[in-house]
Amino acid sequence: METANHLIRPEFLSLGADQIHALMPYFVAFAGCLVTLLLSVIRSVNPKWPVLLGTVATCVAASVLSIEQIREPSLSLFNGMMVSDSFSAFFNTVFLATAGMTALASFRYLDRERLQHTEYYVLLLFSALGMMLMTSALDLIVVFIALEIMSLAVYVLVGFRRADRRSNEAAMKYFILGSAASAVFLYGSALLYGATGSLNLREILAVLQSHPEGMSPIFTLGSWLVLLGFLFKVASVPFHMWMPDVYEGAPVPVTGFMTTGLKAAAFATLVRLFLALGFGKAVASTLQQHVHDILWVVAVLTMLVGNVVALTQTNLKRMLAYSSIAHTGYLLVGLLAGGGSDQGFSAVVMYLTVYAIMNLGAFVVLSVLAEQGDTGLNLHDLSGLARRRPWIAFALAVFLFSMAGIPPTAGFAAKYLVFYSAIQAGEIWLVVLGVLCSAISVYYYLRVMVYMYMKEPVGSAAPSRVSFWAASVVAAMVVLTLQVGILPARLVHAAKKAVTSL
Amino acid sequence: MDLNPIFFTAFASLAIAFALLVVLKKNPVASAFSLVLVFFCFAAMYAMLDAHLLAALQVLVYAGAIMVLFIFVIMLLAADVPSFDLGRSHVGLRIGSGAVSLVLLGLFVWAFRHTESFGAKGTLTAAKIESVGGNTQAISQLMFSDYLLPFELTSVLLLAGIVGAVAIAKRQNPRKEGSGS
Repeated sequence: METANHLIRPEFLSLGADQIHALMPYFVAFAGCLVTLLLSVIRSVNPKWPVLLGTVATCVAASVLSIEQIREPSLSLFNGMMVSDSFSAFFNTVFLATAGMTALASFRYLDRERLQHTEYYVLLLFSALGMMLMTSALDLIVVFIALEIMSLAVYVLVGFRRADRRSNEAAMKYFILGSAASAVFLYGSALLYGATGSLNLREILAVLQSHPEGMSPIFTLGSWLVLLGFLFKVASVPFHMWMPDVYEGAPVPVTGFMTTGLKAAAFATLVRLFLALGFGKAVASTLQQHVHDILWVVAVLTMLVGNVVALTQTNLKRMLAYSSIAHTGYLLVGLLAGGGSDQGFSAVVMYLTVYAIMNLGAFVVLSVLAEQGDTGLNLHDLSGLARRRPWIAFALAVFLFSMAGIPPTAGFAAKYLVFYSAIQAGEIWLVVLGVLCSAISVYYYLRVMVYMYMKEPVGSAAPSRVSFWAASVVAAMVVLTLQVGILPARLVHAAKKAVTSL
Repeated sequence: MDLNPIFFTAFASLAIAFALLVVLKKNPVASAFSLVLVFFCFAAMYAMLDAHLLAALQVLVYAGAIMVLFIFVIMLLAADVPSFDLGRSHVGLRIGSGAVSLVLLGLFVWAFRHTESFGAKGTLTAAKIESVGGNTQAISQLMFSDYLLPFELTSVLLLAGIVGAVAIAKRQNPRKEGSGS
């Protein structure tokens, strides 16, 4: 066969030095997966130490590499299927930091629950790798595969307490509903492919721009389905049924990882899809109106249902699950406003980062407070916590204040930015509703504080020791929450830089 | 190259009929065998589109390997629970879900009927595939150049899946994993 007849384009057969440099965080993360996997079969010592160290070292190394790349120009990789830019570098750092912190904070928890250490850490790394790939993908196939890498690992993590029925139930529910959502996303992508002849976001955008009069119904249907798949993953309201059960059944550190990493990954990918497909610019205006209307309704419902149902919860884990739904609503407000304001989508990026910080902190605190089998997380169990364990109570108070959006915490700065950008985009009603919901939320956050600080202690069981690592994670998160709350400019700047690189 | 409408209709309706059986049958083994037949119908359609390699892979991998594994697992594990029968569901729920499905079906039919312009056709014409040396060569060359990233990521996905499956199925050994040793 003559060489002229090859379909292989030689430029895709090798990686240049700059491309290898851009891919380093991914290589390091994947190498970390493999090395920890190998370490976990060590027989001479208990493998949990080497695997934990390997996981944390991987996360640190890869996030250092990612932080360096925030300043670098964007680079298209693998036939334009993936891109390395400030946005992906920024979120890679967030994901890796979340995974590393979760691993550190889980150590004592896994010991107490007598769970397998090694696979837990390996799956955390795989999930972080999936998130990294998902936010840097520019092709719907790659988005789908990365989504599955992330989800598969998390399905297993949710069911990690195998002896516990609720954990099993949560994993099963999440697996079945999550697979259905993936199928919806996949079908939507197939329809988009039928309508445009490409799965690459840039090529889809080119087709969109060449049809200013509007796209075919197939394209509209496809984009609805893709959007629905993501709305399911972030648990916005008509698709939130799975979430409280899953969050309650999953081991506490995994719940923290899901509310921070998973949600950040899904929203970051949505932001990339929106920007790559020109949302907010004059492209296919009818479709944009559709997407806008759908998101408007979903955002309002999500804020309302999340906050109102959270009012009635007495279990802290379940309350935080509903509050996480409410925060999804605020994020959707930012997503809606992104196209029409000066901030663009940087408000969403900022909010995601801040939410990751405070929520991760709150869940680490919960995993410290929880007793065997994830019990002891009801409100009355927290009575008088401030007297029994003042530092833990203080940390939880800071995180809850931040979630309620009270200055001088990071949550206030983030919420302010989201609502400010929504006002700029002319979504006045959305902001009014959002602020009202936010006011409702203060009630259930403050109620926890009342229990901790103003009630007599019950049952004075000697508190279990807090591991050094969990304590340092909590301390770091408290410092970050306050620091971002008082001096938000640096983070806002980084978020803006990340978004403008798209 | 063009689909023969008679054969297309025949295989498409067979595929739909068997797909319905997969959902409606209460016996898991019957569901699994219906799924095998759905895959065969797909393979027939791929073959009619001149995608012979895909058709062969569909039969070998899906109908052959995966489904046989499925059926073995069902037969080995659930021999004493031979049914997916979850009891009678609520009437309102049935009517509701039926109505929603019909609305969705109507929406899709409407969308496909009202779409005039589909995406641009690909550049791989029959002549071009012939000049490269056939389907197998064309697919493998593209897979290792243009589509390298998804191809490699799929293996990462499989690895993650294996680790997850082992983590779930591994025998629990509390003495070894506990805090003490």
